[in-house]
Amino acid sequence: MTTTITNKVVSLTGAKKSFGEVEVLKDISLEVEKGDVLAIIGPSGGGKSTLLRCLTMLETLDSGRLAYGDLIVAENGPSGHAVYGSKNVLAEAKTRYGLVFQNFNLFPHFTVLKNIIDPLICVQKIPREEAEQRGRELLAKMGLSGKENMVPCELSGGQQQRVAIARALAMNPDVLYFDEPTSALDPELTREVLRVIRELALEHTTMVIVTHEMSFARDVADKLIFMDGGTVVERGRATDVINNPQHERTRLFLANYQEN
Amino acid sequence: MIGLLADGLALTAQIFVVTLIGALPLGIVVALCRMSRFKVISTIARFYISILRGTPLMLQLMAIMFGPYALFGLQMGSDWKFWACDIGFILNYAAYFGEIYRSGIQSIPRGQYEAASVLGYSRTQTFMKIVLPQVIKHILPAMGNEIITLVKDTSLAFVLGIAEMFSQAKALAAREVSMIPYALAALIYWVFCLLIEFILNRVEKKLDYYHN
Repeated sequence: MTTTITNKVVSLTGAKKSFGEVEVLKDISLEVEKGDVLAIIGPSGGGKSTLLRCLTMLETLDSGRLAYGDLIVAENGPSGHAVYGSKNVLAEAKTRYGLVFQNFNLFPHFTVLKNIIDPLICVQKIPREEAEQRGRELLAKMGLSGKENMVPCELSGGQQQRVAIARALAMNPDVLYFDEPTSALDPELTREVLRVIRELALEHTTMVIVTHEMSFARDVADKLIFMDGGTVVERGRATDVINNPQHERTRLFLANYQEN
Repeated sequence: MIGLLADGLALTAQIFVVTLIGALPLGIVVALCRMSRFKVISTIARFYISILRGTPLMLQLMAIMFGPYALFGLQMGSDWKFWACDIGFILNYAAYFGEIYRSGIQSIPRGQYEAASVLGYSRTQTFMKIVLPQVIKHILPAMGNEIITLVKDTSLAFVLGIAEMFSQAKALAAREVSMIPYALAALIYWVFCLLIEFILNRVEKKLDYYHN
């Protein structure tokens, strides 16, 4: 028996997804390797969010194959439709990724610390003391020491988003997804959140970031995908794609951004 | 006179407590059935709610009281009336509570479910730990209203010959040829409600530590 050593954290092949008549994802493939920071950019309605939602199993693929490391989450069955793994497989897959939402989606009735440690205790069955220690460390790292016993509504949007990042990181995921993490924030708060993500990139945290912050994408991401109309129009090194786009649609999109 | 009213109050309080113990959890089941993806279940729940809200509680109590005999010729024991009373109140209030729960559950943003799903919470954990506590805060005012109504609705047990406070007051009024027992009963109902309001306010304050 041979074991192939693979650095592939996420691999998605031939992903298709329609909502009714509308084809939102048309045969998308992507791979994320350990330590990658992948940015996904593109116009609204281009399928970025749906892609992220399929990767995090908030939506199911119509067809395609999705694997986290060696764990196959979904694969095309004989009929050509995606067939998902058992409950256990899906539960295991969920331990391998984290997601940071545009609207934070913290649990408003939990304190900041409980938001981070409750999933550890309830889902991962980690002893409370250990979970609390990890929670406090992560809060310190996010610059939120002393806020442990506050509730989310007492924090600014930027602080809430940093709690959400800590909550996702606490689960020790192989990959961390961000769905437009700063779109709900004003410029000042955006900066503090982007700074945290930058630091994570320096530590080689594997991340996939859907963003409208072009300069951030260029600086932080090493790979980049430009999506439009449910397809990947262009992909490559982040600096290359943003500084020197090859496709007309990418050029137009980026040009619009520079105007704004 | 006070002694008899106190006896009545004990039964009134008993109906009140038993109804809450039964209908508060059953209401959640009604709400979940009403929102079920399975058409059969949601239709049954819809029908249930419609019947129980659309007919007088007094008639429902009588139907349960006399139904077993009228339909199946079953002779029920002498304490059947207490069972009939509790069943009737629980079924009726579960319908109202169910709709209140539903309004609360539907007010929880989808993002809460999505965050819980991504973090790996099971469906049961999501409901019990994330959704229900927030629902309770949302629905407390509406629930309070309904609970206050229940205090006074217990007097309907009168039709089943249960000697709760209103029945006692009526008997006393007839015996003493006086309106005082009614006035006293009214006063006691009001104090009962004041107590409930006080408790509800305390709970509301306790849940005031956050807002969405």
